[in-house]
Amino acid sequence: MFRYRFVLLVLLIGLLAVVFPLITVAQTPDENTLIIAQTVDVGALDPASVNSRAEANIFFHVFGTLFEIGDDGVLRPYLASEYVVSEDGTEWTFTLNEGLTCHDGEALTAEDVAYSFERAADPANAFTGNTAGFALPAIGYQGMRVDGDLQVTVLTDRYQTPNLRLALISEVYIHCKDSYSALSLEEAGQKPIGSGPYRFVEWVPDDHITLEAVEGYTLRPTNFKTQIWRVIPEASTRVAELIAGNVDVIANVPPDQIEAVNNSGVATVQAVAGTRRIYVGFQFGENFKDAPGYDALQNTDVRVALQYAVDVPTICKTLLGTECERASSMVNPPNNNPNLEPYPFDPAKAEELLDAAGYPRNADGVRFETVLMGPRGRYLNDANVVQAIAQYLTDVGVKTTVDIRDWADYRTLTGPKEIGPMFFLGTGGGTWDALYDMADLSSPDAGTNYTNWQNEEWFTLWNSLADIRDPEQEREIINQMLEVFYNDPPWLLLYFQPDFYGVSNRLDWQARRDEWIVIYNATLK
Amino acid sequence: MPCPYLWNTYRMMLRYITRRLLQSLLVILGVTLLTFLTLHLAGDPTYLYVSERASQEEIEATRKKLGFDQPLPVQYVNFLSGLARGDLGMSIRSRKPALDLVLERLPATLELTIFAMIISTTIAIPIGIISATKRGTGLDGGIMLLAMFGQSIPSFWLGIMLLLSVGLQLKLLPISGHVAVLDPMLKGDISTGLTNLPDALRYLIMPGVTIGLFSLSRNARLVRSSMLEVLSQDYVTTARSKGLSERVVIMKHAFRNALIPVVTMLGLEFGFLLSGVVVTETVFSWPGVGRLVTNAITQRDIPVVQASVVLFSFLFITLNLLVDLIYAQLDPRIRLE
Repeated sequence: MFRYRFVLLVLLIGLLAVVFPLITVAQTPDENTLIIAQTVDVGALDPASVNSRAEANIFFHVFGTLFEIGDDGVLRPYLASEYVVSEDGTEWTFTLNEGLTCHDGEALTAEDVAYSFERAADPANAFTGNTAGFALPAIGYQGMRVDGDLQVTVLTDRYQTPNLRLALISEVYIHCKDSYSALSLEEAGQKPIGSGPYRFVEWVPDDHITLEAVEGYTLRPTNFKTQIWRVIPEASTRVAELIAGNVDVIANVPPDQIEAVNNSGVATVQAVAGTRRIYVGFQFGENFKDAPGYDALQNTDVRVALQYAVDVPTICKTLLGTECERASSMVNPPNNNPNLEPYPFDPAKAEELLDAAGYPRNADGVRFETVLMGPRGRYLNDANVVQAIAQYLTDVGVKTTVDIRDWADYRTLTGPKEIGPMFFLGTGGGTWDALYDMADLSSPDAGTNYTNWQNEEWFTLWNSLADIRDPEQEREIINQMLEVFYNDPPWLLLYFQPDFYGVSNRLDWQARRDEWIVIYNATLK
Repeated sequence: MPCPYLWNTYRMMLRYITRRLLQSLLVILGVTLLTFLTLHLAGDPTYLYVSERASQEEIEATRKKLGFDQPLPVQYVNFLSGLARGDLGMSIRSRKPALDLVLERLPATLELTIFAMIISTTIAIPIGIISATKRGTGLDGGIMLLAMFGQSIPSFWLGIMLLLSVGLQLKLLPISGHVAVLDPMLKGDISTGLTNLPDALRYLIMPGVTIGLFSLSRNARLVRSSMLEVLSQDYVTTARSKGLSERVVIMKHAFRNALIPVVTMLGLEFGFLLSGVVVTETVFSWPGVGRLVTNAITQRDIPVVQASVVLFSFLFITLNLLVDLIYAQLDPRIRLE
């Protein structure tokens, strides 16, 4: 007996001898270091291949753009000081600031700007993502022309409303020709050579990226010498690190942990009404004509009736952890039609309209049956919101079954529009222009017209915008289009997704609405 | 002239290893085929690589760029021909060779897995033995009760509880993150690896315990039951009747024989721990293969998933082959037939 106790004692002492020296209180970031925690890592660091918001956030600090989209939606000069548009609106000539350099010391000139666009558009590079896959095609990109050391022209195939075009051009990250010409695609994806306020130092995959302020950078502030972008996928871990004071900013605080953060005395949660539009789409595609509820949902009166059936403010309060105003259109405020009021929650009116539309309750209390598809893990509390909506619809007699898939599977269905007869979805938006938000429905066969909505009046008005140069006239048509959308809704309008950022109390920083984490302007309190 | 007995043993062993390797090849092929089909049948991965606003032409162009426009059998044959040349393709997301990506993350996962195995075996064996020798006592009951809890606690819950209590409230250990030891050592920088070791251990303890607790509990129960069985054998009674001390009886006569099922379990254990790291790596932000594979599956980065599957299958098969060989050495009654 004594021997065993002796062995146990030795083991215990041995264990303590190993563990005791390891125990230290966790280190908090110093006054020169800012630590941000994102949920996913970057896939690569090539400025021409932006495939996620996590990547864009890093690029935004490492690379400059010609203009910058501010947190208020205003486009401000950045690497370029000004621009001139040709009379027909197809040529945009930018003048660069003098004395720009890339982080390896190479002078940044018009030739480099042209190269940045051309490299992204070059099919041989096979880039995927936002720049090559969306921004350049969306402006009708045709090529670049170097007009001088500091003058460069973006050539496009059509007129486009100026704010929208400038915003899209401002999504192209500028890098230097000589630096990148010398790199293979693999190398370019590992060690970016930037043109922005912070230089790349280190990337430990799935762990962190370290950036260091570029000395003497005058175009944007660099209030912290070092930025460390950590990857912390688990929400509870992110929150714990924030409360422990080990990180300064975290993205995607789960609604059920907001109180814990706010009560910590170390950090607070900033809730912002994001620009991402969350909606339930009604599928008009013929592929679904045999699906339950398809016929009923083709009826405009039914779709309007269903708008009254869902209590969106309560969904926001209970499932998203914040108050919200229901969307009255597909356009973000302040660019939406001010005359449109959000549909109120009025189940009695919903029932009345469904009766009038020719869908009375049967003996079982059911008007018709349908299916609501939705993703899990893509949008804030998405699967629960889908179930709540299905219950609201069932309550007014539209017996709704939910079909929830993991996001990766769901995305492979949304792409070819194989979702319906109703589906839950979100789509990114902007604060700078209504047309950016409306471009989801730019044509009946647009990739983002997931509903296959065919409203003739809408698309005729959309096409008429191409000839409009007068902003007031454009605004009038936009308002008219949003009324068409409101009265013949292809979407069950829900909300603009709230975003929750946990921010250390030592920091003075305001989160943006458009999901970007732009933090070069953060300061210590 | 070699000894005929040894020559015969070597020949048998060689034949056994060759047969097992051939079987392994079939297993790897089967696993890759299943993975390939599962990832592709779940939908067209192209849509995960285009902007939500991409036009049909852009989607088609991307599909072609990524090679998803080819018929599935052609894509699989291309993969197999690459595999035969040791080329497992390029990651779609990061544009790096898929195998390199997996190998880059493997050291972090091995650190975690090895640490968990050390915890689970070094603690499980003594407490299993103590429990067996104290059978029926309060100590035995207490150990088995704890072992039952250890096997019942889900690792994601345990991980979060540990980080909230030990990391956040008590501030004894870092909440999440990783300091590399194996990676610099494998790259020839031994001194950095050793310098990092104390820090690395701080980061390892919580995820190591999280992942190792289940194995520890299971192994403790296994050692106990194995010891109990051996302790009831005639040769143990004979040893005791010869007047040998209890320590000699247990450690020399009983323990070696009780170890056989434990060694068998260790081979499987490695595979179990590897599959268990996915959740633990996510909870503790550990940059290992588990998270790489999870992300690759989510993003349908098929070359990375395939490379991980091939590598893990190979590791698992090799370890089990080694275990079988050790098993034969531990118990001379077992022949490799």
